[in-house]
Amino acid sequence: MRPEQQVPRNALVWIIITMFTLVAPHVGRIPLWILGLYAIAVFWRIMVYSGRWSFPGRWVKVALTLTCFSGTFFSFGTLIGLEPTVALLLAAFALKLIELVNRKDGYVLLFLGYFLCITEFLFSQDIPIALYSLLNVTLITTGLVALNQPGQHRFNFKTIRLPALMLLQAFPLMLVLFFLFPRIGPLWTVPLKSLTAKTGVSDFMKPGDISNLSQSDEVAFRVQFEGEIPSREDMYWRGLVFSRLVEGAWTSLVYYEIPVRERREKPVTTDGEPVEYSVIMEPTQQNWLFSLRYARPLGRGVMRAPDYRLFLPIEMEDEYQYRVRSWPDTVLDRELSDWRRRTELALPEDTNPRTRQLGVELRRSAADDRAFVDTVLRKFNQEPYIYTLQPPTLGEDAMDEFLFETRRGFCEHYAYAFVVMMRAAGLPARVVAGYQGGEINPVNRTVIVHQFDAHAWAEVWLEGEGWVRVDPTAAVSPDRIEWGLEQAVSGEGTFLAGSPLSPLRFRSVAWVNTLRLRYDALTYQWQKWVIGYEGERQYNFLQKLLGEVSGWNFVVVLLGSWLLVLLPVALSLLSKRTIRRLSPAEKQFVSFCNKLAKAGISRAPSEAPGDYSRRVVRLHPSMAPQVTQISALYNELAYADAGLSAARRADLLEQFARAVRGLKMPSKHQGASE
Amino acid sequence: MLTAAYKRGVERLRARMQGRFRAWVNRRIPPARSVTLNQKRIFIFPSSVGLFFGLCLLIMLIAAINYQNNMSFALTFLLATLFVVATLHTYANLSGLTIHAVRAKSAFPGQQSEFEIYIERTKQRPHYALHVKWAQSTDATVNLESDHRVEIRLHTAVGKRGWYSPGRLLVESTFPLGLLRCWTWIDLDLHALVYPQPEACGPLPGLATDKPDGAAVAIVGSDDFYGFRDYQLGDSPKQIHWKGLAKGQALQSKQYGAYADRSVWLDWDMFMGRDSEQRLSHLCYWALELESDNVEYGLRMPGLVIQPGSGIKHRDQILKELALYGLPGGRQ
Repeated sequence: MRPEQQVPRNALVWIIITMFTLVAPHVGRIPLWILGLYAIAVFWRIMVYSGRWSFPGRWVKVALTLTCFSGTFFSFGTLIGLEPTVALLLAAFALKLIELVNRKDGYVLLFLGYFLCITEFLFSQDIPIALYSLLNVTLITTGLVALNQPGQHRFNFKTIRLPALMLLQAFPLMLVLFFLFPRIGPLWTVPLKSLTAKTGVSDFMKPGDISNLSQSDEVAFRVQFEGEIPSREDMYWRGLVFSRLVEGAWTSLVYYEIPVRERREKPVTTDGEPVEYSVIMEPTQQNWLFSLRYARPLGRGVMRAPDYRLFLPIEMEDEYQYRVRSWPDTVLDRELSDWRRRTELALPEDTNPRTRQLGVELRRSAADDRAFVDTVLRKFNQEPYIYTLQPPTLGEDAMDEFLFETRRGFCEHYAYAFVVMMRAAGLPARVVAGYQGGEINPVNRTVIVHQFDAHAWAEVWLEGEGWVRVDPTAAVSPDRIEWGLEQAVSGEGTFLAGSPLSPLRFRSVAWVNTLRLRYDALTYQWQKWVIGYEGERQYNFLQKLLGEVSGWNFVVVLLGSWLLVLLPVALSLLSKRTIRRLSPAEKQFVSFCNKLAKAGISRAPSEAPGDYSRRVVRLHPSMAPQVTQISALYNELAYADAGLSAARRADLLEQFARAVRGLKMPSKHQGASE
Repeated sequence: MLTAAYKRGVERLRARMQGRFRAWVNRRIPPARSVTLNQKRIFIFPSSVGLFFGLCLLIMLIAAINYQNNMSFALTFLLATLFVVATLHTYANLSGLTIHAVRAKSAFPGQQSEFEIYIERTKQRPHYALHVKWAQSTDATVNLESDHRVEIRLHTAVGKRGWYSPGRLLVESTFPLGLLRCWTWIDLDLHALVYPQPEACGPLPGLATDKPDGAAVAIVGSDDFYGFRDYQLGDSPKQIHWKGLAKGQALQSKQYGAYADRSVWLDWDMFMGRDSEQRLSHLCYWALELESDNVEYGLRMPGLVIQPGSGIKHRDQILKELALYGLPGGRQ
């Protein structure tokens, strides 16, 4: 192999560093054997470098590749999906290292590294990940530079300087491109999807599901209100409406089960003052959105379901933002269709007989539907029912067991029991799941809704009032609605018991809390302006900035701003100091020569200073004393420099300068007569 | 038929394009003994690695579009603009360098000639991975990191006798990222002298082998004392002027006339009936032979006489005349 095609040792070290920093954030979502593969690959490559082992043969490579494929298949059960693909890419990255023979392999390896940076973003685009990826890009670029720098036989940390500088210079150019580049829709759908489920409210609710979800301190979504933030008790974020109870679990209606004429939202006359807000949701890999009732989306893309909730036609793989206007006082479904009434009354015949019986009895003793609802709520409130994050697990007839025996439950238990009783008594009712409340961030006035704000409540249909929200949990634990989960369960100390280090547990420590809220405000801006910069937001931003969004404007702004950055870069690169700087003595001598050159005696390039002086004296004997002095001074300064003391040198320089300044040129006439 | 005609046409077109291009380069970068690289002389274009990088960027862009992932957009754009910035850095790596021709060693046909050049930086910045080579020569990759100049020796096989021109020197670099290739072709006006191919022949015509050395010389002044000269290493002890030494004078050797006359004339006309290339080859051979035998020799050629002498300088002068005989730029 030609020596300049070899991979310098410096590059090899940088590449190995890069490998580990690239794989690090993926730990946890890839099987552990891939890390083992990394260790083996690095060890093998180092042994190759030190000459003890050789590169793997073709069959070894084939065997390793097959092992990686089958290993990935066994670890995930499939090869299709985001995680298996990333695992394969990472494995390929490790294998490429033991194949790293010449520079061409190095390029392939490093470009694969850039691609791996992108895969990280498919899982998270948060600020820490973005910063970390910037570090990774710097390291990969350092690998590229090291690869192109022959003769570096040892690890050189300073190699990182040039790529860091170059990335710094490229950064403003990137920003311009980022804001200008038009975001078009996906070229084709079916991008690889992540296999790991995200935490969040699911379309399948069994008793115990929401209390499990409430163990998480992750953010579900953030809301920015246009005007006043509604009070806590009014913030019921509807996400799912569960109308079907099948085998002890609540689910929403499937689109194709709904008769065609029922599929569209009924015309609604809005009442009262609307609230306007925008929501940024964390990726859920589901397609329902959360909103206050009764909500209409602003802008395109969001759909409305007949049970007055919002959803997306596709699943959310990334942060998603949408704007909504809600009229909380609107009457929903003043009239109920037969199909709807039948659906919202359906109950399985064979389960929870005692609960259904209780419902029928309580209805009989109540004057009207409204009184019946109040009776049930009073029962929850006055009998020893307990609101707890750790409800006991229940058997076949879950509600019978809960209502008459354990009497300990979380919100979904109360909503479930309530709806079963209502339906048994012939009152249309359904469970609604979503979030309740939220934390107001004083830094930017956003409402942060966490997973532990997940909640389930009920809606009953009353004659003349339509669907009315009833929250049985409020009857059991008013604190939950008024103050939130932390206060409601403070007695049992179970709030975020599973995550002892969550900053949300330290809300009482002022500086931790301030830091957390500030960071959250930053995250909100990041999500709004960076991650969510597309579509309408991009258009509005560009229109405000450019006045008019047109191709011509784009070109002018792009070229103008790029030149603004690139010109100084080019100047600083190309106008580096020239190497030969003249010493003070040389400078004086040059001005001496210039003076003489003006009088017609210029020094030949090959002429030594001494020869030149003698020639001058020969031509102009009258100048002999001056010129001889200058020549002597120059000789001493130029050739005996090392032996001179600083004071002496300064003194000589001073004399030299004076002599050159005082040099009287012979008149032309004198020169001519010579 | 048609394809052949087509091929010929393409061939002709290519030849013409190459000719035009060469003429353009010649105008743009005229031959000179030292050339400083500046924007007039440096060309830049993405390397094959750079094109591959562009392909990777395209795939990344498609991924970003399909996933609607803004951070992926940002990363793709950062890499694309890094490429733009790299253009300046790659260019700067070549700019401000001065390449000087030093010398080219003379050689015999079929041998390698050594071309010596040096690269000097005029700016305070380091330069890396400078790759230099002539079309047919060996190549070298050098850095200018702490030193201000670096000397490079390249070897190339030479052709026929006369001046051998290695063509334009390629100076290229892909530093820092390898994505862009920056290069220039410079004509350093550096030529190697190629001697005639030495070709042995029978004994030198007119040189009687049975007579002692120097017998062929016309003047006979055998053993006549000629003069003194300073002792030189290798002088025979018989020559040393011992008497003088005894008197306290410096060590001197006596010189005799006969030695001065032990010289051979290499004559163009010695090889009657051979063509001129062959004559040159024979003359070359004998010049080398006589030089290695320490015999003084002179050269007589049409329009040229070189007085007998010996030594490397003398030999080179004679070989040069032989090399350039009858060539444009050489002596007729």
